Amino acid sequence: MLGGVAFDQQIIVGMLFAIIFTGFSLALPGFLTIGNLFTLMRTVAVLGILGLGMAIVVIGRGIDLSMIAALAVPSGVTLAVAAAGYGLIASLAAGIAFAIAIGILNGFLVAYAEIPPLFTTLAVGIGVAGVGQSGLFEYDIVPWPPSLNSIAWIGRGALLGIPYSVLAFAAAAVVVAIFLRRTRLGLFVYSIGDNLNAARIAGFAVRPMVVLQYILSACIALFAGLVLSASSSNMDTRIFNLTWIYDVILVVVLGGIGLSGGRGGVLNVLLGTLLIGTIVNGMTILDISFEMQNFIKGMVLLAALLLDSIINPRNEETAQQGDI
Amino acid sequence: MNPILELRGLTKIYARSAAVEDIDFTLLPGEVHALLGENGAGKSTLTKMIAGVVSPTRGTILFDGKEIHLRTPSEAVSAGIAMVFQETSLVPSMTVAQNLFLGNEKFFNRVHGTNISAQQFMQSLSFDVDPTAHVANLGAAKKQMVEIARAMLLKARIIVFDEPTATLTPEEKRHFFELVVTLKARGVSVIFISHALEEALQISDRITVLRDGKLVVTDATSNFDRAKIVQAMVGRTLSHELYGTKKTRVRPAGRRILRVSNLRVGNVVKNNSLSIFAGQITGIFGLVGSGRTETFKVVSGVIKRDYTNGGEVFLNGKAVRYRVPAPAVRDGIAYITEDRKVEGFFETMSIKLNVYVGRLAKAGLHKFWIRNREMDTLGDKWIKSLQVRAVTRAARMIELSGGNQQKAVIAKSLVQDPELIIFDEPTRGVDVGAIAEIHQIINRLADEGKAVVVISSYLPEVMLLSDRLLVARQGKVVEEFSPIDATEEKLMYAAVH
Repeated sequence: MLGGVAFDQQIIVGMLFAIIFTGFSLALPGFLTIGNLFTLMRTVAVLGILGLGMAIVVIGRGIDLSMIAALAVPSGVTLAVAAAGYGLIASLAAGIAFAIAIGILNGFLVAYAEIPPLFTTLAVGIGVAGVGQSGLFEYDIVPWPPSLNSIAWIGRGALLGIPYSVLAFAAAAVVVAIFLRRTRLGLFVYSIGDNLNAARIAGFAVRPMVVLQYILSACIALFAGLVLSASSSNMDTRIFNLTWIYDVILVVVLGGIGLSGGRGGVLNVLLGTLLIGTIVNGMTILDISFEMQNFIKGMVLLAALLLDSIINPRNEETAQQGDI
Repeated sequence: MNPILELRGLTKIYARSAAVEDIDFTLLPGEVHALLGENGAGKSTLTKMIAGVVSPTRGTILFDGKEIHLRTPSEAVSAGIAMVFQETSLVPSMTVAQNLFLGNEKFFNRVHGTNISAQQFMQSLSFDVDPTAHVANLGAAKKQMVEIARAMLLKARIIVFDEPTATLTPEEKRHFFELVVTLKARGVSVIFISHALEEALQISDRITVLRDGKLVVTDATSNFDRAKIVQAMVGRTLSHELYGTKKTRVRPAGRRILRVSNLRVGNVVKNNSLSIFAGQITGIFGLVGSGRTETFKVVSGVIKRDYTNGGEVFLNGKAVRYRVPAPAVRDGIAYITEDRKVEGFFETMSIKLNVYVGRLAKAGLHKFWIRNREMDTLGDKWIKSLQVRAVTRAARMIELSGGNQQKAVIAKSLVQDPELIIFDEPTRGVDVGAIAEIHQIINRLADEGKAVVVISSYLPEVMLLSDRLLVARQGKVVEEFSPIDATEEKLMYAAVH
């Protein structure tokens, strides 16, 4: 329906994925085994879920750097509330309320105070992580309480051999795809990303919609956080200090969702996630050091951004309107 | 005397239509040459070619008898041609001295030394500007002095002014004219674009009038008077072929839909009052800076009026104040923008999706899902009704011609079933064939009983379309005409000061 310009990059990334995948399969023993492929997908499932949330914001011509904080702290709150003896519903509600609050704060600052999203979400992310680490939790690592074991399956175990975390990613992808392509609000996101002024004059309530974008990305981050903490049996809030957020941007940009907004969709996130998963998995099998992997990922991100600016050139108007 | 600048057959073609065609023009040393014409006559394009901002499609530029090819403005500046734009190109946060030497700083800059040489230079031009003052704190006239000083410092022999007096007070204008005399005395040639005919008559040596991209007449100022200039500006032949004959019948005014009273927006709209009635087309004519667009952007909620003493807007007798366009759209106001690329359409989307976005923008919250069948039906309906020529309804907006884009933008608004429709320059950048069709659409809307507003700086267009003609000047409507007894000359008289 909306495809178009991002299509070219989709094909390029798809081909790149096919080449790298075939190359690894032929060259690396142990790469093309069922076990390794599930490992590959499990390692990127959480990243992929985050990418879906980032995609919504980027399509609406924003960016959300607070996603890792929104992954760690609200899910930590859920675990802590459950550990304190409250029920499943109450603890989930507490986490969701926290995530929505982060989204509203981001959205309000971007839409109403008109602070560029890059700086808003950076500051909100640091603030939220700080609140979590210094005030809310007793230790940096919040353990998974036994009282939440009834939902622990979202991160553990497998159905017919497919890990649940991968299924969670797939389910989130379907929901986000339906939201973006089939609902009126999804169309609003594309309209705002394509031409904010035109969307405004057409009569959309643009600013509430921007707030909604950030609420959605925070809630998706919470979901990713629950999957992650269920699979590792705890939520390590120090995760915020890692470079994860760049991986999320890498997934989105590499997949072909232009940073100039209004382009791309869930398919692009899937492609980007698979490509990153394959590269990281291959490098791990090759025993490339963590530092070297970061270097390679950095180069790939740079190449993807370059490709993005060649394929989706920013004209003067978007350069003035877009703040990223 | 040999001309310092000579243009031979200069032509600029944008997207197959000529913005400027076969201009032969000479500029003598120490001459003040006024360049007059309506909006869109080609004045800006012509001067931009002289200043190296755009490069000509055909023709030659001779500077001091030698042919030159200017590729960038900086090449023009080093050749000795400087342009002073309407919006000044100074850096507001820097001092006057810093601005003067901008781009020509020495490797190590001594603040004191720069200030002294700036001071000396300003005095040599007898300009009274403090070199240590920040440009942001200067008035419009002083900024202009700094611009001129910079041009002089770069040893400009030709200075092009684009509407230099538009933002000046009468006092500052007088000062500007003195500056022009100073420049003239120093042997600098001046090209001067203006809408103010009296000024041109007052300070220029020769006048050139452009119309529809062609040079109509060049003659010594003493051979012109106001009436003769206006006639040269508007007496077109092409328009009569395209627009047919004069209107003989007008639609009567229906119910009063909109009343604007004493509207104020910054210093652009000043105490503007007007009414719009159902079942007829109200044409708003005015030159750039007359506040016509801003007035109707306030009506449709795109911009806000002043908080205090901002005036009032009544829709169907009820006072309204829109802070965003959404409630205005809900109340049945559609604003169709003059700049469709920047605020009109969604370029990555198809025609049908653009129309559907318009529908969804007005639909209530209960509408949650997108329905493809509804989108296709709507797309087909409006493509047919507005005669959009595209290969398929799924064609993307960016692939369409200007006329078809404009029709799609109109469809996007009409699908919202508005009661008051504001067209801002509805045929700007539209191919000739589509102009007549868009006019047909506008007429049809008025026949259906809608209140239609057409803002245009193109005289034949407002004359042909309007049932009622309002002329705006300097922020308010100053005169009303019936199209039956209005002439292009009368309208132009009312619109220029």
